[in-house]
Amino acid sequence: MEQYVTLTMDGARARVPRGTSVLDAAMEYGICIPHLCHIPYLSDMGACRLCIVEHIENGRAKVTTSCTLRVQEGMVIRTNTEKIRKLRRNIAELLVAEAPNSRAVQDIAVRCGVKEVRYPFRNNDCVLCGRCVRVCTEMWGARAIGFVGRGKERHVDFPFGVRPDFCKQCSSCVDLCPMTITPCDGPMKPGEERLCGKCESQLQVTEQIPDTCVWCDLGMGFNCARQA
Amino acid sequence: MSDQSMAAILEGRTSQPQQLIEALHDVQQLSGYIPQEAMTTLSQELGVPLIEVYRVASFYKAFSLTPRGRHVMTVCMGTACHVRGAARVAEQASAQLGVEPGGTTSDGQFTLECVNCLGACALGPVVVLDGVYHDQVTPRKLGRMIESVRRAESEDRLHV
Repeated sequence: MEQYVTLTMDGARARVPRGTSVLDAAMEYGICIPHLCHIPYLSDMGACRLCIVEHIENGRAKVTTSCTLRVQEGMVIRTNTEKIRKLRRNIAELLVAEAPNSRAVQDIAVRCGVKEVRYPFRNNDCVLCGRCVRVCTEMWGARAIGFVGRGKERHVDFPFGVRPDFCKQCSSCVDLCPMTITPCDGPMKPGEERLCGKCESQLQVTEQIPDTCVWCDLGMGFNCARQA
Repeated sequence: MSDQSMAAILEGRTSQPQQLIEALHDVQQLSGYIPQEAMTTLSQELGVPLIEVYRVASFYKAFSLTPRGRHVMTVCMGTACHVRGAARVAEQASAQLGVEPGGTTSDGQFTLECVNCLGACALGPVVVLDGVYHDQVTPRKLGRMIESVRRAESEDRLHV
């Protein structure tokens, strides 16, 4: 029999099966926690850091990623405090600076309230969310791609940089990549990268009802969990 | 790297994925770097996916994926060493060996590396040559060090 635990999220009591992640629980209850690297049918690695929440323990608030946080009995979670919004905005800003040529990243930045990007655009076309690596490893068991290198040299690659025979070119990695949808105006030229911010009309909906999932279209680019 | 030495490294480790790092260390020690063939063999014998072997080997600084020189020279560029002139020491090393930091001389004699701190700040500038720490190195001292290694090697060649 499935066991249930009761937790408090943003003051609302929720009853969810044991073993669920806080992010899934919040989604289930219609609370919007922006996320990028999370895919419902794959394991979570907390790479994008967008889904951070405050976990209140013994009167202390601990900031952690909700996708890797499992629900516990009596847990208290805050998903939309001023502190979290500020941190999340900064993380989204860094993501846009890293890869401005992605509609998914641009949209999530708008959703997180980024108004300007204070960091130099690096245009790396990869935010190391690990979606491709996880689908290849977990879903297909192919293990054709993985993370290589360390620190700023870390990137996704084939073994020795050559496509191995056991990669069947299923393109699952490409399907899940948040970089595959370019901004509406097309790819940005080097030196002209900017925050697109065209979807601000969408933002007004989310701002009127904060921390509630309003089924905005901002998650289209990366298959937001609520659309799956 | 011969098949025999590879077999010796794999001795008692077959199908034990947890032995990966140990085995990589042995390969590194034996050949001075991790060749692609060695990674492929390790992946098959230990039962670790090839990408995992590559990921681990490329992650740790202890493993080199390109052939290294017979002598490894590490110049500390930490704050304490820097203020005492590590930059000039590194410049001298690059100029005398004719390689950029991280590179290996074309004759395979020296590999030059610059690291951020060796943890011996009181002795700075520190240079480690083949595991031996040299303290308070000046460009001149370093020049003599390189010369003596070169001389020792050429003498060895004469005797053999």
